[in-house]
Amino acid sequence: MTSTSTALETLGPRGARWSQLALGVGVLGAALAAFLGSQFHDGFARFQHAWLLACVFWLTLSLGALFFVVLQHLVRAGWSVVVRRVAELVAANVVVAAVLIAPLVVWAAMGHGSLWSWADPESLRASPLLQGKAAWLDGRFFAIRCVVYFGIWIGLSRWLLRHSVEQDSAPDAKPTLALELRAAPAMVVYALSVNFAAFDLLMSLSPTWYSTIFGVYVFAGSVMSFFAAAVLIVSFLQGRGLLARAVTVEHYHDLGKFLFAFVFFWGYIAFSQFMLIWYADLPEETEWFHVRLAGSWKLVSAVLLFGHFILPFAGLLSRHVKRRVGFLSLWAVWLLVMHAVDLAWIVLPPASHGHGAESHAGGAIGLVDVACLVAVGGVWTFALVRSAANRSLVPVGDPRLPESLAFENL
Amino acid sequence: MSEPIPTTDERGELHGFVAEFDDVTSVTRAARAVRDAGYQKFDVYSPFPIHGIERAMGLRSTHLPWIVLVCGVSGLGLALLLQYWTNAVDYPFKISGKPLFGIPANIPITFEVTVLLSAFAAFFGMFVLNKLPEHHHALFEHPRFRRATDDGFFLAIEAGDTRFDSKRTRELLQSLTQHPVVACHAARGGDHAPSWIRVGGIAVALIALLPLAAAVAARTGDTTKPAFHIVNDMDSQARFRAQVANPVFADGRAMRPDPAGTVAFDGLIEDPVVLTGKRGDAWTTTMPVAVDARVLARGRERFGIYCAPCHGGAGYGDGLVANRAKDLQEPNWVPPASLHDTLVRGRALGQLFDTVRNGVRTMPAYGRQMSVEDSWAVVAYVRALQRSQNGTPADVPEAKQAELGAR
Repeated sequence: MTSTSTALETLGPRGARWSQLALGVGVLGAALAAFLGSQFHDGFARFQHAWLLACVFWLTLSLGALFFVVLQHLVRAGWSVVVRRVAELVAANVVVAAVLIAPLVVWAAMGHGSLWSWADPESLRASPLLQGKAAWLDGRFFAIRCVVYFGIWIGLSRWLLRHSVEQDSAPDAKPTLALELRAAPAMVVYALSVNFAAFDLLMSLSPTWYSTIFGVYVFAGSVMSFFAAAVLIVSFLQGRGLLARAVTVEHYHDLGKFLFAFVFFWGYIAFSQFMLIWYADLPEETEWFHVRLAGSWKLVSAVLLFGHFILPFAGLLSRHVKRRVGFLSLWAVWLLVMHAVDLAWIVLPPASHGHGAESHAGGAIGLVDVACLVAVGGVWTFALVRSAANRSLVPVGDPRLPESLAFENL
Repeated sequence: MSEPIPTTDERGELHGFVAEFDDVTSVTRAARAVRDAGYQKFDVYSPFPIHGIERAMGLRSTHLPWIVLVCGVSGLGLALLLQYWTNAVDYPFKISGKPLFGIPANIPITFEVTVLLSAFAAFFGMFVLNKLPEHHHALFEHPRFRRATDDGFFLAIEAGDTRFDSKRTRELLQSLTQHPVVACHAARGGDHAPSWIRVGGIAVALIALLPLAAAVAARTGDTTKPAFHIVNDMDSQARFRAQVANPVFADGRAMRPDPAGTVAFDGLIEDPVVLTGKRGDAWTTTMPVAVDARVLARGRERFGIYCAPCHGGAGYGDGLVANRAKDLQEPNWVPPASLHDTLVRGRALGQLFDTVRNGVRTMPAYGRQMSVEDSWAVVAYVRALQRSQNGTPADVPEAKQAELGAR
């Protein structure tokens, strides 16, 4: 890649148009979500669940991207250089999720239990089980932990992006070597932060329940959702003449392999979590699945089993599917929808069971959740396009770029 | 050099022509030329995989994925069938109250067998499709062919190709390289392995059958010899089993009774009423031990542990175990009695005590699990429970009678 083609690989003026469109959609979605949320007349408790769901959905895309970028540096991968800048930008976009999730965390830290029920000191005192966890389930400590998690992710993703951009015009491979040197400790920090963030943000919605594998479960879905998003973003850009010469069917094939691998990994972890609880049959562990295998959530569980695992597993098995961008994109859209359903399946059941008589009996996935996903997604996309606007979409100075451009699957 | 070569000569049947190349570019170009000339039975040999060589050679994609898929799906089905047959049909055995054929419990085995058969299919299928093992190959006749594992690139066209012509094929290859094209011949007498390998292989296969034969013999025959212990860790211990004679003692009893006139520490209960629930020949109708709130609380706790699983928390015979047995329609299940039947309510305290200690009908004895004091505490609690479920307005204290009427 020479400097002349670098100019072709930036969004240019189209970026401004796209970002305005995304922001407009986001604002409309937010207005609709706020209206729908007010219709529950529950002090926006249901709305908060939908908002958390939406924030976590877009957060997990960034976390999956962050994992991917750190992994590429950790193993000194060559094939992925042409798609790595997109991943770096998606990872650095984690700041959007941090800003949008902050009000929920502050609200909880102020002692309101409408989302995380333990945040209300009264409900903590009422339950002997929760008293044992009171040291951890403390509003201010929770807020501090959230600052640490998001601080790690924002710092790590910005550091990765900064060195990668630096490499674009660097005379030697020093920035890349610096990234590779620190990729291993970065991976450890990443793993711990994602694990505990999953415990805090999602598992503590059911504060008496615990599952040690829960963080891995959320991680598996996150990485899967990133690969689905990566396929869609790259094919979108290629459809508009960007990355056209850099990304070939071979790169789609590898993204598809990762997508397939993490579909299976998600299924493996989800089943591991379920089977141990099913087999031991202990009341303190089964409550979580009991709620999700009753009423309308039983159907959602079945949808996840088939839609998030069995069907995409069979559908993505063949290399011919992974090498046809159209098919691969269809599965990517499908799996992103399934990822949202998966997170709804985690976040929403406590909304319809947890909070006493004023709760929304039989509550399930509703329009307010879709509106929140659109609202957060609009802002998220706006920020992503803005951050990508003046940057090369290919790491043009990367020492492994020639390897990536010439990459072929055997 | 352009002389036509006979397809068989003193060196054996002609296998084909092999040409040597110096680098990836020239061998790839040659492969493309040979493909375009319409040849199909030819192969390229190189020290490392060459990107795009399969397109240059016009290779069709392999059937191996289909073989793996079929074997994987077979493994999935076989594993489920195996578990269904062994646990639900051939030897129905309930574990942890799980269904005889519970899918979640069977998934790990199913997963493993699916992976195992898929891996076998990929590994052995690759061997079969590559016609391996091959002990000798005609191409070894080329003096430099071994360099294909180091720095040599070769392209060989087999004589079996429909377009093969000993003159024109040779000329085609010679036009692509400056190295001399070499004719290779299949060795006379085939490529059988040395006889010691065949004999050794048959011997190993036969020896491998011995454990199976031993198992078959053991299953079909009878023997009076003790079982053969491969790992002997805790099978034989220096202890006496129940009912086995002990030559050390005159009475031959291995299980020693307490010496006459002794009791264990803290074990002395002198009052026969407390010990047996009987006053003379009749069941006692009064509590032989003091009853207070502490005793009732203890009785309630013990009742919850030992009695409630069958009799239910309120004593109506609707405990978890009883309900489960009813749900499963267990044929041999005798439902536990409701403690509020007139019959049970009429039982003397001593008889209730005896039931707790020694069991009745299918109810097991709990004398081993509970001390005498605890058994009496349970009896006291059962009586209180019966009173609570069968109260009359007269049981209500006079001071509260007015409230009763208000309802």
